[in-house]
Amino acid sequence: MTMWTRHVSGKLATYVDAELTPQAAQRVESHMETCAQCRTECDRTRSGMAMMERLPIIEAPDSIWMAIEAQLRDRPTTTPAIPSWRLAVAATVIVAVAGAAAWRLAHPAATRWEVQRLAGSPAIGARPISGVGRVGIGEWISTDADSRAVVAIGEIGSVEIEPNTRLRVLATRPDEHRLALARGEIRATISAPPRLFFVDTASGTAVDLGCEYALNTDEDGSGLLRVTKGWVSFEWKGLESLVPAGASCRTRPGIGPGLPYFDDASDAMKQALGTFGYEKVAGNGLDVILAEARVRDTLTLWHLLFRIAGAERARVYDRIAALTPVPAGVSREKALELDPETMKHWREELAWTW
Amino acid sequence: MVDLSDREISGEIIESCRRGDREAFRALYDTYKDRVYSIAVCFFHGDRAVASDVTQQVFLKLITSIGRFRGDAAFSTWLYRLVVNACLDVARRRTPESLLSTLADQDTPAEPSSQEEAYARAQLASSVRAAISTLPEKFRIAVLLRYFDDLSYEQMAEALNCSMGTVASRLSRGHKMLAERLKHVNSPKA
Repeated sequence: MTMWTRHVSGKLATYVDAELTPQAAQRVESHMETCAQCRTECDRTRSGMAMMERLPIIEAPDSIWMAIEAQLRDRPTTTPAIPSWRLAVAATVIVAVAGAAAWRLAHPAATRWEVQRLAGSPAIGARPISGVGRVGIGEWISTDADSRAVVAIGEIGSVEIEPNTRLRVLATRPDEHRLALARGEIRATISAPPRLFFVDTASGTAVDLGCEYALNTDEDGSGLLRVTKGWVSFEWKGLESLVPAGASCRTRPGIGPGLPYFDDASDAMKQALGTFGYEKVAGNGLDVILAEARVRDTLTLWHLLFRIAGAERARVYDRIAALTPVPAGVSREKALELDPETMKHWREELAWTW
Repeated sequence: MVDLSDREISGEIIESCRRGDREAFRALYDTYKDRVYSIAVCFFHGDRAVASDVTQQVFLKLITSIGRFRGDAAFSTWLYRLVVNACLDVARRRTPESLLSTLADQDTPAEPSSQEEAYARAQLASSVRAAISTLPEKFRIAVLLRYFDDLSYEQMAEALNCSMGTVASRLSRGHKMLAERLKHVNSPKA
């Protein structure tokens, strides 16, 4: 091999960033073996890069958007001239400050969330997290097969990100904390009023009702929600499955959440539910579900009422009625019509057994 | 239910921006605002007023000229070209006095914590920002572009209007200077 005798200081960032071809990188390494000056400079370049990694992204203040909006309102055409932003801000800030400042004082929640590495090399975008990072709206957090991380969800909880997961931050407002789970698995621990925390997948949105849960999904939208504490509402295109602690719910692409079921339900029942709602209901499958149902499995049966009709719905009603007394105010006729008030009242009574 | 792809800065969003769709522009702004602002804050020695001014200029320029974006380069490359131009233009117009008056006013991170660890992180970040302030402009902007977005060397070259070799050289020298200026600071943990 020909020794590369010229100093390589101008190529060191490219070398450290692995942007050189393997042959060029080899030449740089060969040179550094014999050149202490370039070795020292390489160490310094690495050190400078490492220092930059400690620099947090700074959140842009709202006043910038307010000024831009003011400019766009005043200048709907494409004239690019820009007078001082301060004048524009003055007009808008006077109006907005009183309300906005009071609101912000009461809701100082951050709009970038802290992400902490738990194992391996999780990343925000393409940047590996070495310790703690920050993630903002629109950014992805990703883990490979060996990495894990935890993201703080404002002040209401946290989400652990398991290996091989891609997760995106969609909203960080005090009234809406929203993530998108493209693939992989997360474990959420939330302590907040209902409907402040949401996780979208391709075939369902997990809506926190005050809970702890695990949610996984494939990229095509096949997934499983398993609740360990509290309640989660699993929703998709008008379909809703309420999932309490100790229960799970599958979701499928193009179909959405299936029937929730308790994890300690019989294997036969779980097997029957495995295809229920995803394939044409087979009489035998319904027979198994009704036969295997215990009192607490009225969770599954109550949801089932919404997914079937006619004589089959009547069979389900009768099975629930046989398992637990129908409360006052719930009539067979109204229940089979799926009268909203009746169904809500019945669910609230049944929920004591779930 | 949100279609995940709806939130990408896609050709569709850019096309909507071209048609004057304010919602699309807001989505685009939300995606890039913090990175653009962070670059400007670091470039202008922690001066947040100037950084706000520059960020505003960049996005107004973007909305008024997005019709000229042909899609033959990555959108982010085009955006950062605007950022580089705005930073260098404003820097040229600034007086040495205004620069000196802000050097001592290094900002702390947006979300300080009361914990000791957070305080130490803020101190380190402040030292790094101060060191960046002392780099020559061309090195400073190259280092900031590399850090605040995941641009390839080719994209950085396009944004900086120079060759990839020049980008490599500026990054090497810029990071080396940074390390020398931060010798007194403990090296960050790996």
